[in-house]
Amino acid sequence: MSAAFSATFGLSLLVWLMAAVALAGIAARVALWRKGRAAHVDWAAGLMAMPKRYLVDVHHIVQRDACAARMHMLVAGGLLAGSGLAALGIVPALGGSRVYWALTALAFAIMLTGACVVGLRRYPKRPHRLSGGRFQILPWLLMGYATGALLVAALAALGARGGLVALAFTAAAGLALSSQTARGPMRHALAGALHLAAHPRPARFSGTRDVALAPVDLEAERLGVETPADFAWNRLLGFDACVQCGRCEAACPAFAAGQPLNPKRLIQDLVGAMDGGTNDYAGSPYPHARPVAGTGGVDAPLVGVAAMIHPDTLWSCTTCRACVEECPMMIEHVDAIIDLRRHQTLMLGAVPEKAAAALDDLRDTDEAGGRALSARADFAAGLDLPVLHPGMAVDVLLWLGEGAYDLRHGRTLRALVRLLREAKVDFAILGAAERDCGDLARRLGDEATFARLARENVATLSALRFARILTADPHALNALRNDYPAFGGHYEVWHHTAFLDALVAQGRLPLGTLAGLAVTYHDPCYLGRYNGEVAAPRRLLDALGLARSEMARHGTRSLCCGGGGGAPLSDIEGERRIPDLRMDQARDTGAAVVAVACPTCTAMLEGVSGTRPEVRDVAELVLAAFEAGQGAPAPRRRALELQP
Amino acid sequence: MIANADALLKPLTIKGLTIRNRVMSTSHAPGYGKEGKPQERYQLYHEEKAKGGIGLTMFGGSSSVALDSPAAPWNQVSVADDSVIPFFQSFSQRIHRHGARLMIQLTHMGRRTKWDTENWFPTVSSSPRREPASRTIPKELEAEEIARIVRDFALAVRRCKEGGLDGCEVSAAHGHLIDQFWSPSVNHRTDRYGGSLENRMRFGREVLEAMRRAAGDDYVIGIRMSGDEMIADGLSHEECVEIAATYARDGLVDFINVLGGQARDDMAHAVSLPNMSFPVAPFLHLPSAIKREVEVPVFHAQRVTDLATAARAVAEGHVDMVAMTRAHIADPHLVKKLSEGREDDIRQCVGAGYCIDRIYVGGDALCIQNAATGREATMPHVIPKADVRRKVVVVGAGPGGLEAARVCAARGHQVVLFEKNAAAGGQINIAAKAGWREALSGIPRWLVGQVVKLGVDLRLGTEASEEAILGEAPDVVIIATGGAPSLGHAKGAERALSTADVLTGKVELSGSVLLFDEMGQHNAASTAEVLATRGCLVEFVTSDRYPAQEVGTTNQPIHYRELYKLGVVFSPNLDLIEIYPEGNRLVAALRNTFTDAEEERIVDHVVVEYGTLPVDGLYRVLKARSVNAGQIDLDAIVAGTPQPFDLAKGFALYRVGDALAGRNIHAAIYDALRLCKDI
Repeated sequence: MSAAFSATFGLSLLVWLMAAVALAGIAARVALWRKGRAAHVDWAAGLMAMPKRYLVDVHHIVQRDACAARMHMLVAGGLLAGSGLAALGIVPALGGSRVYWALTALAFAIMLTGACVVGLRRYPKRPHRLSGGRFQILPWLLMGYATGALLVAALAALGARGGLVALAFTAAAGLALSSQTARGPMRHALAGALHLAAHPRPARFSGTRDVALAPVDLEAERLGVETPADFAWNRLLGFDACVQCGRCEAACPAFAAGQPLNPKRLIQDLVGAMDGGTNDYAGSPYPHARPVAGTGGVDAPLVGVAAMIHPDTLWSCTTCRACVEECPMMIEHVDAIIDLRRHQTLMLGAVPEKAAAALDDLRDTDEAGGRALSARADFAAGLDLPVLHPGMAVDVLLWLGEGAYDLRHGRTLRALVRLLREAKVDFAILGAAERDCGDLARRLGDEATFARLARENVATLSALRFARILTADPHALNALRNDYPAFGGHYEVWHHTAFLDALVAQGRLPLGTLAGLAVTYHDPCYLGRYNGEVAAPRRLLDALGLARSEMARHGTRSLCCGGGGGAPLSDIEGERRIPDLRMDQARDTGAAVVAVACPTCTAMLEGVSGTRPEVRDVAELVLAAFEAGQGAPAPRRRALELQP
Repeated sequence: MIANADALLKPLTIKGLTIRNRVMSTSHAPGYGKEGKPQERYQLYHEEKAKGGIGLTMFGGSSSVALDSPAAPWNQVSVADDSVIPFFQSFSQRIHRHGARLMIQLTHMGRRTKWDTENWFPTVSSSPRREPASRTIPKELEAEEIARIVRDFALAVRRCKEGGLDGCEVSAAHGHLIDQFWSPSVNHRTDRYGGSLENRMRFGREVLEAMRRAAGDDYVIGIRMSGDEMIADGLSHEECVEIAATYARDGLVDFINVLGGQARDDMAHAVSLPNMSFPVAPFLHLPSAIKREVEVPVFHAQRVTDLATAARAVAEGHVDMVAMTRAHIADPHLVKKLSEGREDDIRQCVGAGYCIDRIYVGGDALCIQNAATGREATMPHVIPKADVRRKVVVVGAGPGGLEAARVCAARGHQVVLFEKNAAAGGQINIAAKAGWREALSGIPRWLVGQVVKLGVDLRLGTEASEEAILGEAPDVVIIATGGAPSLGHAKGAERALSTADVLTGKVELSGSVLLFDEMGQHNAASTAEVLATRGCLVEFVTSDRYPAQEVGTTNQPIHYRELYKLGVVFSPNLDLIEIYPEGNRLVAALRNTFTDAEEERIVDHVVVEYGTLPVDGLYRVLKARSVNAGQIDLDAIVAGTPQPFDLAKGFALYRVGDALAGRNIHAAIYDALRLCKDI
């Protein structure tokens, strides 16, 4: 009996010891995080909200992979419950109860089940997106700890002997497990929990998508992020929360296209840089990785051939946020990339060639192609669009955006204008007063140009009277809706799909049917993922009587067209083009038409060669349905003929 | 999208008038004017272009401002009195509805018109020099008459403005009155209107100044002029540049519409309206040179048939607006198709000159390949869908069969198209084998592209049989099997070869050839050119008064030029009455059509052109089984209503094109369109 009791006592001590080892490990990380810039964190609110953030927000993401969710519930729940119970077993009243140890054994049995699932997930063949190395021995440590602890507790519950052998076994595995907290798979547990409490975008947990980028103090000595220490401390914490599950990698369009970007690897390079450049990363590499020295440090530059991250990696990103959307640890990869780009662009001028030309044009002409602002409405010549001037008032201000210069998008805009007129919408454009919204500059890291354009556009808009802004460009929508408030511009911004949906719902646009036309809808990242608008376009398409099917990836988990974040200008070489990948998904649906809702998506997808579905903007389809509903044309007006 | 499309789709603003893109149609005379007014047919023709996205359409080529420049020839428009204003108003409203701009050309034709029509006033000019083209000797204008005509121009521009037209151009091209003053080939005056270039420019200056006073400074007034008359005693390129630069500098004109050449005789006429034998945009260097010297926009038309060339001309800065007048006759929706990314659907002008050649013999402009142009009141440019889906079998993929298949497929019908040859195109493939006539192949090329796109089951190399057709269980069978060459009726005609035998390469001839033609069309002239080019000694014999008598005025001079160069001998006014062998050669007996005198030729070969006779074997087999005995209800065709046959009882059988009777490409296509649009 005494031997069994001493084994349970030993187990209790072991758990306390493991906790101490884990805390010691994380303390070293805390010291590193503190080298980051200060950040405002509402600790009280964060800690209070943590259970909900974990059990609801994180769970929502994790359970997209149902097997992984069950696995994690079993293993983490079992580990926490079993270890907690075992730790409290040090209290004699509890430690002496066989029922108590039976309960403890049950918890460890649950953990063991979970640990076996962890093992089955990684053996015999590890899925591509999961990292190996330390992560590959994790199931053995979990199983070892759970088995030993289960035996100790079970023997105690049965009042049987032999607990000390089991204790030795579980101690070896348990201590190895807790030593994985400093640098290893278990770090995610503590860093992740803290990250949930101190998250840099707490609004993400309260139902908003919170995608606005933080403005930069352009008077500061150093702009953007050069070294790990330039990141806010809770960003560094966030990087440490990574559990290398590779969901980001699986979602990343640049990775899929064979460009040298892997969000998981990028986060691990940031972590490695904090560690002085060491890196025992054992996951998928950057595809066609460009060679770098791999040296770093908390105060050493992150980007460059002589550093940790090659610039091509940085410029491969389309800022589509698919990685962020998939990350169960709520890491903000895109924010990190923008911060790094800001330093490259603002401090070093190290921008890819074509992107530099576009930024030059934006600085000089307020337009990324260097074209006259008055030419923006050329697509509508002959349509006599009213221009909004001070002193006038209009319901809807139609923001034309960069795409208006493009002949293809001009067709979309003409369809939209026609529909607005048919629905008798009171609208006007800005004419030559519309400058570029600055989205491109901002995503390429040129915060100075963005800030100037934003301020000037806000000043223009402030002098005008309108109720809402309508645009067919999700990038402009995102800039106006989410980025401009920091510059004093607060607007009700509508995307044309939502606006047309509302017009149809109000009965202002009588529609015929495009019955039988097989269509699939491609979500623009800046509309779906950035702004959560996935329902209106679908509702609208369904109102046209189309046979609509979904691509393998859709909604907020859609695959990018490859056109965001200035990626078409950066033009980093890969194996395939991102729009080709997306078009393959469209082809797989068998649809005759890919419905799009963004000028960039239109251009990228129409650039796909070979046999493919037709690319048509939702507005064009709505117009086709409207015309189908108009029936026979009105009788021709006769010309004046001479009287006989 | 084509290169530089953005340059073409950029608006152009002239004095506050914004034209939505750089594509226009120049003023021309389609022969649609009625009683001197642009009435329904005329307006619908231009409205179709406005619907089709054109930036600016100009109508009323040679619209007259004065009574001694009659509107009756070529059925033109008269702006000589106020009665035209309401027509202008309805016309401009009609065009503006579609976002396009509308302008007119104003002119006094001077000597380049007829005296024996309308009011029988003599023609007038700077000097009494006869113009070969109009065959008139004009009266020399006196100062009082000059003042009257200047006043007439001013009154006319006011009528344009009141009519809501967006502007106008005065014609100083093709030998109208203003350039009859400019050109030393006409103007031999010794007063203040003759002699120095400044004096010769005076009449035009007075006209433009008076118009400016009448219409105000904000009204767009341009000029159409030559960039080089290309004749020894005419205006040189340098003089044309100087005229343009002077008028522009002095604020007399808001745009300059430049062309090359003049039109005083047959050859000059053919050069100034270049057909398919010319390269594309042959005179683009002329507006380009003038554009360097002037600040006002420069327009240009002359065989710019494709958008790629048009876009290049604008993008490279040769012109500000590019006129695609004949290109719009072939496809009035070409700008719309460009901006919708449907360039492949554009029916490109092949330069056959069918439209303009009809006008110069007093007819109306019709397109060789687009039977809807000029018939907008009855024929659709965009084929509407049918209510009931039918099964249609078309036999023969020549122009008629292809058009029938295209229209039926666009109606939504299920269409099978049989063609026994390996390639579609029918007799056009034969015609296109002849020298500069190659561009005709563009007609079937577009039609084939469309029928394939519309999902027609095109069965090339498959001869239709009764069983194969009935096996398709058709509702409608359209026989478009075309015609086969006739060898004529002369004694011994079986010893002759047909022009088709030569063009298809079925025979390769050498030595002396007597080519006999009783059709007067391109066929014999083309064949003569092919034979002579290959080294044959060719005598071109015809019963007509002159060779290629039926070939129009922009094409005939090209045939003559080539045949004269090749040494082909012309022998008109002779009938072929007999062919008989003598040794291994042939004797052709000929009889003069006026004197009945007979003569003979001993030649190696006799080639004849008597047109075609219908290939109608299949039709005769199917006729009895059809519900309509193969007949077309002519009343329904003219009324534009469906053929009144009950398809529940069986299939209807129709014939189109040369399978009905040998005619031409337009007839075959029109047969097919007007029948099939109501199937």
